[in-house]
Amino acid sequence: MTNGEAILEFRGVTKSFGGRAPAVRGFTLSVPRGQLVVLIGPSGCGKTTTLRMVNRLIEPTAGAIWIEGRDCKTYNPVELRRRLGYVIQRIGLMPHLTIADNISFVLRFMGQPPAARRARAAELLEMVGLAPEEYLDRFPAELSGGQQQRIGVLRALAHDPDIILMDEPFGALDPLMREQLQEEFKRLLRTVSKTIVFVTHDMDEALLMADVIVLMKDGQIVQVAPPEDMLRNPADEFVASFIGRHRVLRQASEVSVADVMIASPAMTGAANGLARSLELMRRRRVNSLLVHDQEGRFEGVVRQADLQQHIEDGDQSPVGSLADRAVEALSPSDSGLTAMHRLLEHQRADSLPVLDENHRIVGLVTRGTLVGLLGDALRVASGVQDLNVADPTLPAPASGEMAP
Amino acid sequence: MTLLLHTWQFFTQHPGTIWRHTLQQLYLVAIPMSAAIVVAVPLTMLATRVRWLYGPVMGFANAMQTIPSLALLAIMIAIGLGIGVLPAVLALFLYALMPIVRNTYVGIMGVDPGVKDAARGMGVTSWQLLWMVEMPLALHVIIAGIRSSLVATIGFATLASLIGAGGLGSLIMEGMGMASNSIVLAGTIPAIVLAFLAEGLMGGLERALTPRGLRV
Repeated sequence: MTNGEAILEFRGVTKSFGGRAPAVRGFTLSVPRGQLVVLIGPSGCGKTTTLRMVNRLIEPTAGAIWIEGRDCKTYNPVELRRRLGYVIQRIGLMPHLTIADNISFVLRFMGQPPAARRARAAELLEMVGLAPEEYLDRFPAELSGGQQQRIGVLRALAHDPDIILMDEPFGALDPLMREQLQEEFKRLLRTVSKTIVFVTHDMDEALLMADVIVLMKDGQIVQVAPPEDMLRNPADEFVASFIGRHRVLRQASEVSVADVMIASPAMTGAANGLARSLELMRRRRVNSLLVHDQEGRFEGVVRQADLQQHIEDGDQSPVGSLADRAVEALSPSDSGLTAMHRLLEHQRADSLPVLDENHRIVGLVTRGTLVGLLGDALRVASGVQDLNVADPTLPAPASGEMAP
Repeated sequence: MTLLLHTWQFFTQHPGTIWRHTLQQLYLVAIPMSAAIVVAVPLTMLATRVRWLYGPVMGFANAMQTIPSLALLAIMIAIGLGIGVLPAVLALFLYALMPIVRNTYVGIMGVDPGVKDAARGMGVTSWQLLWMVEMPLALHVIIAGIRSSLVATIGFATLASLIGAGGLGSLIMEGMGMASNSIVLAGTIPAIVLAFLAEGLMGGLERALTPRGLRV
């Protein structure tokens, strides 16, 4: 996104309600034009209060908010709000108005003639792929929740504001619908360049949507960073724990084999018979077994095809005699990246055993495990840039070769 | 059977009397009802903006409705208003307030907070919010309040004859005094018809004023 001048600036904004601890404290942030800034944090962290101070639905106790080089307070609140777009979780479409009138609601107050308002509503409906002739004259109650919020977003675009405020806009939708709307909205944003302040408590959403994430706690900013930076370098323990599971997905080089391995792979004792081992494979739905000795030390790998062949040949020897020992192994402390390299070098193996220092089996890494890891890394990267910019530290040919 | 016949005879022989009493009854209802609507609706709307007003307004309206209707009429005499149309109209006015106040308040406060938040966030003034959002959405609830108030007032108005306000009640009183059931019926039947008419008309109005978007 562009590094234009700041269109929106928070300067030491503080808000206290009554005698309690301030809901927002010394909030200072500069939002460049065209950026999508996500305010995120646990409930009660002051993110919604911060948002509502921008359009003066809440007035700051101290500090100032500047929009396009002008202090908010110098605007008439009504005039100010008509310069901004506003989308809320509760959607808040006017139930007594048609979709056309809902979309063009603000235009009506700006004195636009009905025909122009209707035309604008039709134009916006087309932008999100809803047939105007089908929707213009319907009422909100006739629409599904997802459709209603699409209208809610269009309504915020109708008067073409430079800044749009969104308060958990997709929070009330079911997960499937939410994802769909997030994607749609991102696509929409590419056609209309807007500065957006977006409140959410959902880290997945933040990673997907944000140019910059502002993580808040107890009314204060904890960290401001692009999603990728926040994932890689969380400012403190709180950030790390809030990011939670995403932290594990940071980079293949930072993830250890112990984090991703299958901890209880299918194994068989070296002294077991062939048929019994084959049956075990069937039950575990795998095509190879790790063979171990009495102390649990790695003896090799036995594959389904070999087993079947030897059973047909009437071979009575124990499974240990068929174990392939020429298999490379990983240690639990190896990085995910090392595991990828080893697997790629070993075209023949679709999995590698993980052994401790005493050569005992502690787990298994399969190609599938690593594809999952790589997929997550790609997904995180795609939250920042548009797509297909994989982490440069990953082996370049990986994506093609890793397919199971 | 003879009672019905006698009643019928009374209707046909004294159409002027019945018409006069019915007309009086209509005045006795229309004047206090109009006043109650004109006072209660705006005042309650104001109370949705100026919160401290709601307590006194609702409290007063509630108290008036709680007083037994007959006692309310008697109080009018006691406070020196004497008898006649004026004290009756005042009593009916006070009695009619509560359902209108209650429904106006409930109707406006019951508008989805999300809708109000969205409207405010889009820059409607407080006045526009009332006229273009809250009023259209609350109107059918307010009408429902006026409807129950109106039906109660039509009933109560027959008692107003007790303090000399006339109306169909005086016909009923007359009949009872003369032990003539047919005259009593000549008063009650039009009163009942009026009540049903009011109920039906207001019900229709309520439906007509429910926004289409709320009916789907």
